Amino acid sequence: MTEIQAAAVSAINVEMTFGTFKAVKDASFELQNGKFLTILGPSGSGKTTLLRLIAGFLTPSSGEILINGRSVRAVAANKRSIGMVFQKLALFPHMTAAENVAFPLKMRRFDARTIPDRVAQYLKLVRLDGFENRRIHELSGGQQQRVAIARALVFEPDLLLLDEPLAALDRKLREEMQLEFRRIQKELGVTTINVTHDQREALVVSDQVIVMNDGEIQQNAAPTQMYRMPSNPFVANFIGVTNDLSGILTRVTSADATARFGNVELMGVHGGAVALEDGTPIKGAIRAEQIRIASAEQSMAGLDADFRGTVLDAIFEGERHVYEVEVPELGGESLKIIHHDRNDQSALEPGALVHIGWKNRDLQIFPAKQ
Amino acid sequence: MRRYKTSYPISWRFMDVLEAAFALVLPRGGGRLTPYLLLTPAVLLVGTLAVGLLYIGDSSLRVLDRSTFLFSDYWTLENYQRAFSESFTATIIWRSLVGAVIVTAVTLLLAFPYAYVMVRTSSALLRKFLLVALFLPFFIGQVVRAYGWLIILGNQGIVNDALALVGVEPLRLLFNYPAVLFGLVQYMLPFGVLMLAPALTAIPEDIEAAATSLGANWVRALFHVVLPMARPGLIGAGVVVLTLSLTDFAMPAILGGGSQDFVANAIYDQFFRTSDQGFGASLTLILIAVGSMTVGLIFAVFGAGTLALGANRK
Ligand SMILES: Nc1ncnc2c1ncn2[C@@H]1O[C@H](COP(=O)(O)OP(=O)(O)O)[C@@H](O)[C@H]1O
Ligand SMILES: [Mg+2]
Repeated sequence: MTEIQAAAVSAINVEMTFGTFKAVKDASFELQNGKFLTILGPSGSGKTTLLRLIAGFLTPSSGEILINGRSVRAVAANKRSIGMVFQKLALFPHMTAAENVAFPLKMRRFDARTIPDRVAQYLKLVRLDGFENRRIHELSGGQQQRVAIARALVFEPDLLLLDEPLAALDRKLREEMQLEFRRIQKELGVTTINVTHDQREALVVSDQVIVMNDGEIQQNAAPTQMYRMPSNPFVANFIGVTNDLSGILTRVTSADATARFGNVELMGVHGGAVALEDGTPIKGAIRAEQIRIASAEQSMAGLDADFRGTVLDAIFEGERHVYEVEVPELGGESLKIIHHDRNDQSALEPGALVHIGWKNRDLQIFPAKQ
Repeated sequence: MRRYKTSYPISWRFMDVLEAAFALVLPRGGGRLTPYLLLTPAVLLVGTLAVGLLYIGDSSLRVLDRSTFLFSDYWTLENYQRAFSESFTATIIWRSLVGAVIVTAVTLLLAFPYAYVMVRTSSALLRKFLLVALFLPFFIGQVVRAYGWLIILGNQGIVNDALALVGVEPLRLLFNYPAVLFGLVQYMLPFGVLMLAPALTAIPEDIEAAATSLGANWVRALFHVVLPMARPGLIGAGVVVLTLSLTDFAMPAILGGGSQDFVANAIYDQFFRTSDQGFGASLTLILIAVGSMTVGLIFAVFGAGTLALGANRK
């Protein structure tokens, strides 16, 4: 069998304009069958709009969205094989949990004899057995979430769409539900698109991440690559805590780049996506957790860059410390440093003299303007 | 520094003045009794009505002596006996009740799509048009509107003139039961829409999108999701339209031309034509009883809808 498999979802130059406002600009991407994609971006970046375009609730102003090789809009809204979990859940308040889950089966004319078993099976999948007769308002936020997921999955859609369904939950429950999503998605193998503004969630649950800003796709990559090789300063800053340094490019090769920051020249890596010329202004980005820190008397081995500095501020966050350190050699810029204190050493106090450093491969260099 | 006009809205200045006035009348906020104090005017109004009802109850128990035109100084159930023995009473009660039920059903049927489109349309222009069209009849008033129908539907009215042009004999469109019901529906429609609109606004649009994405076509989404969720509004609108129609006076009087009297018309006749207050009062109490039982029955079967208010409104 040499049949070419169409991507489960493909967006081709999709644009969406409301009046004169472009909510989605020239978006193209592909998602393979069975994969978990997260669309990540700040509020107002066009995530919901893109998801509604994929669901077929909106028609693109231009471009096309294909699901299994066919245009979404070619199929009537109630015949599409898409399960959707809405931002505000949109559960039916006049039905019980079980009735909500049974609803799509009834609407899609499943054999009435098979419906109770199937509803039970999916309530079990989302760990809600025993709650079937509760009305929606008698369930907690997390339980309502699970009903919405069971309802979207029970008819075995080809595609599952999630619009920030976890945004309203408290952090602990949210993190629990993220893992739950991942488990259910793996168990059923359903192609999934999740929308969130929580970068941690995107990294934890996804096979593929798309970062959006101002209606534009900034980067489309696997989570680890997104984290290690952000393609521009926006992505670098949006994922994790990142320090920005302004500098001038001095030398560039295909693999690395050297730039002057304050009084020093530093070597870093660049994506190679954009041609860089010597003497152009650049932005350096280094993640707070990739900077090592130690008191001035201690030594740190294996680092490429090493500076002296003074602690300006120290915040204790439980499993880690966050320091702000002033570094005179870098033109007096201060850097945020996240330090996981494995050996339970005594914390550094503000005013302490320290040295800090990093590896060249952790410094990202981007053109200052794109 | 930039100053925002909106950061101290004009309405707040009005409230400042009101608060100052309030503080003048009731220093220190007036204490715990203030809410009850504010309730008194309304209680007095309703109380007056209750007292009036007591007087009506008293009248209904005194029978008119037709030779002296004086009311008996003892209590008797004669008025009620007469009401229940005369077929006339049963006729007007039945006519009012059936009329009210038909008017309510037709009004809800017409008001629902009107309210739905008004709430859901994405066109601001259409929404405004529907709202204006809804409020216009309120400015005209019931009696003037009924006369309007006389002009349109009368023997020499616009409709019959138009029919004459195509050679149709004049039709008797007025002074019959359908004419009264027609007028009532037209009168009640705005009430129905106004009572339904908030109930429909309360249904999130995503709920309907969800129903569709789960496989429901619009008919099934309507019957499985929208109507059940709009039930409180339907009950509220239904009860208001039903009671207003049941007790209506002007439409049966004008469009019925005396041949289609409802209970209110009969009561009017007793009070102001035959001057038999006693019998009129007994009819009044019977009407109140019929209305209360009907509404009670609706509440018992369907729940109190939006009229339940408060917490147990489910
Ligand atoms: N129906 C609409 N009409 C006009 N503007 C809209 C509409 N829907 C969304 N927008 C605008 O598009 C932008 C992106 O919205 P949205 O996709 O909801 O963002 P997100 O989900 O990422 O927070 C916002 O600026 C929003 O105001
Ligand atoms: Mg959104």
